[in-house]
Amino acid sequence: MTNLSLADLAGYMRQLGEGALITLELFLTSFALAFIFGVLIGIATLSRSRVVQGIWRVYASIFMGVPSLLVIFLTFYGGSAMLGAVLGEFGARIDISPFGAGVIAFTVVYAAYIAELVRGAIENLPKGQFEGARALAIPPAIMWGKVILPQVMRLALPGLVNVWSFMLKETPLVSLAGLQDLVAAAKIAAGATKEPFIFFVATALVFIAFSALSFRLASRLETRLDRGQRREAAGRSSSRAAA
Amino acid sequence: MNGLPIDLALAWESLPALFDGLKVTAILTALPLLLGLALAFPICFARMSDRRWLALLAEAFVTFFRGAPLLILLYLVYYGLGQIEALREGPFWILFGSPFGCAIVALSLNHAAYMVEVLRGGLLAVPHGIVEASEALGITRRNIFIWVKMPLAIRYGLKAYQNEVVSFIKGTAIVSVVTITDLTAVANSIFEQTYDPFTPILCAAAFYWAFVNIIRLGFGLWGRWLNRHNAEDVAADAGVPGRGAALRRTSDLGQVTP
Repeated sequence: MTNLSLADLAGYMRQLGEGALITLELFLTSFALAFIFGVLIGIATLSRSRVVQGIWRVYASIFMGVPSLLVIFLTFYGGSAMLGAVLGEFGARIDISPFGAGVIAFTVVYAAYIAELVRGAIENLPKGQFEGARALAIPPAIMWGKVILPQVMRLALPGLVNVWSFMLKETPLVSLAGLQDLVAAAKIAAGATKEPFIFFVATALVFIAFSALSFRLASRLETRLDRGQRREAAGRSSSRAAA
Repeated sequence: MNGLPIDLALAWESLPALFDGLKVTAILTALPLLLGLALAFPICFARMSDRRWLALLAEAFVTFFRGAPLLILLYLVYYGLGQIEALREGPFWILFGSPFGCAIVALSLNHAAYMVEVLRGGLLAVPHGIVEASEALGITRRNIFIWVKMPLAIRYGLKAYQNEVVSFIKGTAIVSVVTITDLTAVANSIFEQTYDPFTPILCAAAFYWAFVNIIRLGFGLWGRWLNRHNAEDVAADAGVPGRGAALRRTSDLGQVTP
């Protein structure tokens, strides 16, 4: 810290803090949307219809095989034109903000990963769970909400934690489309103070701290979701949380 | 925007530039994969070592380079290391002075950190009895590692390795921020010249998709070759439709990674 006065540092810290909030907002919004769409898509693709399966395969293959950065650029640069094609004259006049482009891109990409996880988890549930619910005449909405999905979440949690931490590490990409997030603020501060090392290490540590915190929460959530299985899987939860 | 959003003439025209970009992306994939793997072995040994300080040091390395977003690592190496006087004067400046060298360093460190975990997972999965049996037969520790543990660890870790390589390739798309003209940068520059938001980006996406899927196919073949001694079991599995696939899924659940 050679040429940084305390007042300067405080100013930059405020900027970084604001950037961090934007990053967090972007991340949580995108993850929530990706989660909702992922679960819905996962359930929808259980249908045996060839058309549904075909669409799912193409969608998953494309978005799992293409860098998120390109999807962000595509929605950011081409978003207005796409809206124009769908909504006509009115849509073409809507400008897509970097934040909006990021949310759309991450939702589309990560919904595919989450849908894949949810599909796998549903397929791994014993058939008896569905048959039992049907035999008790439980309506489908309640069957999914109270019987199937809680068990699916238990099975899919380790994978969801993976997706969570991967997505967190991709959120800085939106700064390349012009979002004033944590990384953009760090870059500005680094350039202005000529102290890039400190600012980038600090930014990296923020990300590491956040993911450490979320791993903690995830292992708590795992204990809670496993509460019905505790007798069989007493030793397992600790080993899985470490992964 | 009538019908196809792709301008076929422009796509055809930009093919040579895109192929050049793909070449850069391929080099930026291959070199860090080799360097990262080479770096991952010693760090993995340190991580699994009985000496606490060594294990902690390796763990710190993994936590930092795995936890920090690649973009920040790239900025850190590209902008941050230039600050260190000793490095600027030293012989390594040839490496850190060029964007390409910086990208290679940042990508390799990131990949190494991921590979430490992949390797460790594979090695820990090797049944202890096999190692004990080899020791009882008087095989040296080095030979046990090379001929008994590694071949099994590769089989256990192959899926995780494939996932890491695939997500690594997609991760290289960010090197354009340090002025390297990879596939993404080529698409971006075509966009800036033509203001066509779809054609260049969709073409680049198609290139990435093909690249990633060729790698996936390669891994599939490699996995099948490694498991060739199990060929009969696989054939028997295939005879029971549905169930076999569903069962194998279980172990893959944690493996669906971007």
